[in-house]
Amino acid sequence: MSDTVQTARRTKNAQALWLIAVLLMLYIPIVSVALASLTNTRYMQFPHKVWTLDAYRNALADYTTTTLHLTSLKIAVVVVVLSVVIATLGALAFARYEWKGRSFFRRAVLLPVFFPQPVLGLALLLSFTAAGITPSWQTAAFAHLVWIVPIVTLVISIRLYGYDVMQEEAAFDLGANRLQVFREVTLPALAPGIVSGALFAFLLSWSNLPLSIFTTGADTTLPEWLYSRASTNYSPLVPAIAMIATLASALVIAAAAALWVLLSRKSAPRQAS
Amino acid sequence: MGAGPILSMQALSKRFGDVVAVDSVTLDIEDGEFFTIVGPSGSGKSTLVRILAGLEQPTAGQVMLRDGDITNVPANQRPTCMVFQSLALFTHKSVGENIEFAAKMKGVAKAERKQQALETMDVVRLPQDYYDRSVTQCSGGERQRVALARALASDPEILFFDEPLSAMDYRLRKILEVEMKDLHRRTGKTFIYITHSLEEAMVMSDRIAIMRAGRIVQAGTPNDIYRQPSSRFVAEFMGEVNTFSVEGGRIRELGATAAGVDDGYLVVRPEYLRHLGDGDEADVRFSAAVDNDYMLGSRTQFHLSVDDQVLIAELPAAAAAGLTIGERREWGFDLADTAHVPE
Repeated sequence: MSDTVQTARRTKNAQALWLIAVLLMLYIPIVSVALASLTNTRYMQFPHKVWTLDAYRNALADYTTTTLHLTSLKIAVVVVVLSVVIATLGALAFARYEWKGRSFFRRAVLLPVFFPQPVLGLALLLSFTAAGITPSWQTAAFAHLVWIVPIVTLVISIRLYGYDVMQEEAAFDLGANRLQVFREVTLPALAPGIVSGALFAFLLSWSNLPLSIFTTGADTTLPEWLYSRASTNYSPLVPAIAMIATLASALVIAAAAALWVLLSRKSAPRQAS
Repeated sequence: MGAGPILSMQALSKRFGDVVAVDSVTLDIEDGEFFTIVGPSGSGKSTLVRILAGLEQPTAGQVMLRDGDITNVPANQRPTCMVFQSLALFTHKSVGENIEFAAKMKGVAKAERKQQALETMDVVRLPQDYYDRSVTQCSGGERQRVALARALASDPEILFFDEPLSAMDYRLRKILEVEMKDLHRRTGKTFIYITHSLEEAMVMSDRIAIMRAGRIVQAGTPNDIYRQPSSRFVAEFMGEVNTFSVEGGRIRELGATAAGVDDGYLVVRPEYLRHLGDGDEADVRFSAAVDNDYMLGSRTQFHLSVDDQVLIAELPAAAAAGLTIGERREWGFDLADTAHVPE
């Protein structure tokens, strides 16, 4: 009797240890970046001899910080807006309507996901050059879209498969016109997919390095800058800006989540307790 | 209301490529009638009702509402409403928002909409505190009522029902059949109901049309159809019957004479077969062995065999008492209790 109790306790302890180990593995790297930003030496050593927020002061005073964030933000915003629109239409086209070439479209639209991103980046750079387009943050946004639209399409189409299309017919039968059907039935049904698709698009664009390296031209995104400054000319400014970038994306996501909760609380029916 | 039919189908046809789903259907529906279209799956009944609702365009023919041609009027502009098989409730909306949908589309103010919705909930006997509930929290029967209320609240002249009870379990279906008939009586609206169950049609309808391969094979009151089916298909569709072929005054399967009966088929319901004692008379007599018996409550069903033909007889308890399995006896029926169908 006590044996089984003991075994159960041991299993429980082992599970707890495992959980802690996993959490540490996940968060130690982030914590180390935070720690690395709190000193003034160019060499990473712990514990620090000097604890200081100088790196953050420098980062905030430096014009580069703003430029980097603005470039990445511009790209991410363009990618989020365009990918959500394209992906919603694309998902509707392949999940809903019967048309010739539908199954080909379904495969073709997903193909870019399976391309190694550096290869895709190189291919796009060559195409831009051949077309006489000077690479800049706009071409980078285009490159991100090529890779991100398929993913957002997948995320949104999952919602489309999950609901009864007859709802749209019912709405039409109850006197709604096409626009009203979309606004009242299709869009609310797709909304969770659109929100998660938009978040995915933002995060994938915000953190993308391999496509940006090839396609930004003279502009520099945050990941590009972090990568180049970490390989040469490292200083605590690098982890400081990395922390600021993390915080910025966390803020964007928190704002999106808050907006979502607010909107769904306003429109969704009250759940009985 | 006018004397003429409220809805009139004139030679309606619908093709999907080579398939003829609806084949030249001409039918009148009277104002305030509970009309049921019955048919096996693939008979075209759903397509027909979708044409009537304006959700599908006919390939040929016309739909008349009173005297107006509505063939080309889309569903959102017809004074009709459909209750779908899946119910198609708006899953992201509350019960109240579902019921108010039609009014919202018309631009009715929120307070007035809510008032109408609560009244409609009373009509379908849905408790008013369900107003704010999510439809995903409702049971099968409650969802059915929400769908009914949503359709009724749009104040249609005609309500269509596309097998809304087919997914329900037997008990719930029985309860809702009665409620549906009751609702029809209280609202006085025209109901056009689709089902594959003739039993369901019989319980609820004023008139029934039986559909097969895109055509209406018979239309009439439940009693007419029960007493005088127009074909073997109709007779056999109505449940367990015995069908015999008649040639030259003889019933082939039984080897018995049927004096004065034209060539064709005789349909005999199980309750009209009886076993004959000494001196009992019957128009048609034959001998058959009892194979099996099944207790049905107040009646017992027997399977009889004549050669390799299996017949079904249903007897009240008193008449069933004397019969034992394996026993061979004289059986018979009267021609007055049969229906004669040419094909």
